[in-house]
Amino acid sequence: MNVQFKKGVLDLCVLSMLKGSDQYGYELANTLSELIQISDGTVYPILRKLATDGMVTTYLQESTSGPPRKYYRLTGLGTKTLAVLLQEWLAFSSSVTKIVGGEEQ
Amino acid sequence: MNREEYLARLRKALSSLPASEVTDICGDFEEHFAIGLSQDKTEHEISAELGDPESVAGSYLGDAGESVSTEDAVRAAANCAGNNGGASSANTAAQEKDLTGPRLFVILFNVLVMIWVAFTWVTTLFCLWGVTLAFLAAGIGLLLGLVAVSGIGISLLLLFGIGSLLLAIGSGILNFFITKWSVIGTKAYIKWNIKVYNKGF
Repeated sequence: MNVQFKKGVLDLCVLSMLKGSDQYGYELANTLSELIQISDGTVYPILRKLATDGMVTTYLQESTSGPPRKYYRLTGLGTKTLAVLLQEWLAFSSSVTKIVGGEEQ
Repeated sequence: MNREEYLARLRKALSSLPASEVTDICGDFEEHFAIGLSQDKTEHEISAELGDPESVAGSYLGDAGESVSTEDAVRAAANCAGNNGGASSANTAAQEKDLTGPRLFVILFNVLVMIWVAFTWVTTLFCLWGVTLAFLAAGIGLLLGLVAVSGIGISLLLLFGIGSLLLAIGSGILNFFITKWSVIGTKAYIKWNIKVYNKGF
């Protein structure tokens, strides 16, 4: 899939995935790379930027297998931003669908 | 590429960032390797899945263009929520114009000037309609008088009666338009007042 397509929506995807439950980086990276074919390494810079922007907070949690994991949790600002991004995405994607689909609505 | 190589290349590509940040970032990737290894992946597989360390580092160093959309959304979210955090409230304050001047102008101008203009104009309109009514009443009165007179008086009464009615109709049409334009003008003036009051000049 076109890389340019993915870039813009990765923030939205990551925020959405954190909406239901806190997740650790590996988990997020795995799910995303499976669903939209990005390399796992792409997720970490996004997570870091979201943390810097105050969208998510992190905490360490021990795991039964392997090392402690850094979990990411959505903040209030993250939740609001998610709502805004989602709205924008829905409007944008439906417009694009309308354009490329011609008369189909 | 094994874990050590991957982390070394990543660290090197990130060298322009502060050391503490590099350590932090590399920590995330060490964790990723550790979890992957615990799930029976090889270091090479994990490296391949992570993608080129230099391009990963590039994302940390930041293309300015990429972050724009999030920042906009952050701002929108902050505004939506009426967030009173320092930076965003300063932003909102800067965007809001000072409306004291325009509001004061609107109020004073209306109280000191427009109220008299409006009063005079309404009075004038009443006078104009009064003239029309007077012509109408005169015309009707003169024509009713026809029953009481005879001879030369009839044609005179008829002449003045019809003349008065024609004047009533003429002035009525004129007054109708004057009144209509006055209403339109007043509406526009009120709209302009509201605009100035709410948004300034």
